[in-house]
Amino acid sequence: MIKPLSCLAFIALGLTALATRAAFVVEVTRGQTEAIPIAVVPFSSGEAAAASFDVAQLVSDDLARSGRFSAMDRKDMIDQPHTGANIAFDDWRRLNNDYIVVGSVQAAGADHFTITYELYNVLTKQRLLGYQITSNRPGLRLASHQVADMVFEKILGIRGAFSTRIAYISVTGHLPTKNFQLIVADADGENPRVVMQSNEPLMSPAWSPDGQSLAYVSFEDRLPSVYVQTLKSGERRKVSGHAGVNQAPAWSPDGKKLALTLSTRDGNLDIYVMDLGTQGLTRITDDPGIDTEPQWSKDGQSLYFTSDRAGGPQIYKVGVNPGDKPRRLTFQGSYNARPRLSPDESQLAFVTQEDGAYRIATMDLRGRGDVQVLTKGHFDVSPSYAPNGAVIIYASRDRGQGVLALVSADGRVQQRVVSSEGELQEPTWGPF
Amino acid sequence: MPGFLREHSWSIAFSVLLHGLLAAALVFAALISLNRSTPTKVPLPIDAVVIDSQVLHAAQRELADRAEKEAARARAVEEQQRAAKEAEATAAADAEKAAAEAAREADAQKAELAQAKRADDAKRAEDAKRADETKRAEDAKRVEQAKRAEEAKRAELAKQAEDAKRAADAKAKAEREAELRRQLAEEEHVSAVEASPARAQYIARLASRIQNAWIKPPSARAGLDCIVNITQLPGGTVANAVVSQCNGDAAARQSIENAVYRASPLPPPPDPALFERNLVIHFHPQD
Repeated sequence: MIKPLSCLAFIALGLTALATRAAFVVEVTRGQTEAIPIAVVPFSSGEAAAASFDVAQLVSDDLARSGRFSAMDRKDMIDQPHTGANIAFDDWRRLNNDYIVVGSVQAAGADHFTITYELYNVLTKQRLLGYQITSNRPGLRLASHQVADMVFEKILGIRGAFSTRIAYISVTGHLPTKNFQLIVADADGENPRVVMQSNEPLMSPAWSPDGQSLAYVSFEDRLPSVYVQTLKSGERRKVSGHAGVNQAPAWSPDGKKLALTLSTRDGNLDIYVMDLGTQGLTRITDDPGIDTEPQWSKDGQSLYFTSDRAGGPQIYKVGVNPGDKPRRLTFQGSYNARPRLSPDESQLAFVTQEDGAYRIATMDLRGRGDVQVLTKGHFDVSPSYAPNGAVIIYASRDRGQGVLALVSADGRVQQRVVSSEGELQEPTWGPF
Repeated sequence: MPGFLREHSWSIAFSVLLHGLLAAALVFAALISLNRSTPTKVPLPIDAVVIDSQVLHAAQRELADRAEKEAARARAVEEQQRAAKEAEATAAADAEKAAAEAAREADAQKAELAQAKRADDAKRAEDAKRADETKRAEDAKRVEQAKRAEEAKRAELAKQAEDAKRAADAKAKAEREAELRRQLAEEEHVSAVEASPARAQYIARLASRIQNAWIKPPSARAGLDCIVNITQLPGGTVANAVVSQCNGDAAARQSIENAVYRASPLPPPPDPALFERNLVIHFHPQD
């Protein structure tokens, strides 16, 4: 009698244990939005020291500036391994690093260099990346940004945008000798190049989808006209010089059309779409109020724009087909303008007025239309998404001076990136 | 007269001895029958030694008394006979016949005595035979008793062996039952603590610890749903963490595994019975 009984009991115990295991589930419903700790160890350079370029520092700065990473200060590093085989993982873990980047820069022929780098997960000791990039001396900066891009994407699952470019307007001097410059720089603000300069205002730069050209508004003819300039060649042409106002150009996703704001004879501003090949115009809005600042949807079928048709400026959306009626999107607050669509179209960034200040806000386009104000400045305007959608660049003022600043798309991280002696305005993030 | 005594002293002594033996045998038999009537576990034959020496002495004294009385009677008879002989001898001085008569009488008496002696011999033989029989019966009884005792002993040994076996079985059974009870109790305890606030507390501690260690990647939006299987060592050190099911990307998986490693060592349970080597963590951010 004992044996069958104990046998039964054993089976029962087994089942209980199984049930126990299956039932022992710990639920985690919140995560921290801390920065991920990473150590980018100075690369060994040998004879390539002649390159006098600090790859690791640039990678470290890129990652830190994104707000997603906290990069370890190299002064705190107790060891400087250059290959994975020399990493004492436990030590780096004790220093609270989740990831480590090691590498070297070696001379590779005349004025060329090879960057070798590896990314490791300190916690699992797994190698996540191992690549080589060869570059000439001027290309080392871009190559380093590409290293940061790879690390960023490998860890966060989001394509890095460190090797992309931004365009912005810089204003120096005082009337009557004001100097306006259209500048293209690396995403970190370094390596600025003047694309166009004028003593008359320059405004509203817009990147072509292929990143080869910029459209912008120039007052060089006293009245605002729209120009398109190819960056490499510097070749430029006036694409819209109608009587009155020509402003706020926006490239269609296919790069064949421009949406822009034109004025009628009586000064009313409406949205038009111009075919860049034929320069033929299609009128999109027809309203006595001001309709301006158009922005294309990804499919090229709709436009987001600002209109004061209901009194104060608000954001609307309209189809590009004739007869489509605009639909109002923003209802919160008395001032919502300059709409910019996130690359995945999940969010709309815009300028909102709050407590008498202008700030950058986002609206959720997929859920209930929740609005989140991201910035805390007094004059935060001209938002533009990075092509990976993770960050928004905007113009702000710091101690009376116009600067460029960054805020993560979730508002968690804010950084000032570019400042100069001049006033920096209207930053626009270029494509990948 | 003293001649008579001298003549009969052996037979008297023999008789006394026989009586004594008989009495002892009787007492012995009574004791044995007494013993037999009391069923005890260990009826060893050696129990017979436990005869009361006073009882034996009393029996011996009684026998001695009786022998003495007999001797006195014999003496009295002898006295009468002597007195009669003396009277005869005084009378015989007159007559020749008296001497012849006395001689005849003496012869007759002699014959009588011889007869008595024969009778006595017969009686003695009878007695000896009876004693022998008693002794034989006694021996037989003793053999029987020994045999029975042996049997009883064997039976007892068998019984003892059986008892021992039964006891061992019972003990083993009791042990098995105790073990079962212990297991059940342990299981009940585990079940009890699992359903207890202690378990809820442990789970909350684990969740909190891992939650604090989790750097949510930007790709982890509401709807992320991942299961990570953890192996922890006693002491809470995470030996392994593997995301088994996940609707997130590689970055989300990695962030979750890292969270578990960063949380190492995991907090100990409030009750050691709650320690689970394998944990299942369910990640599903709500915001």
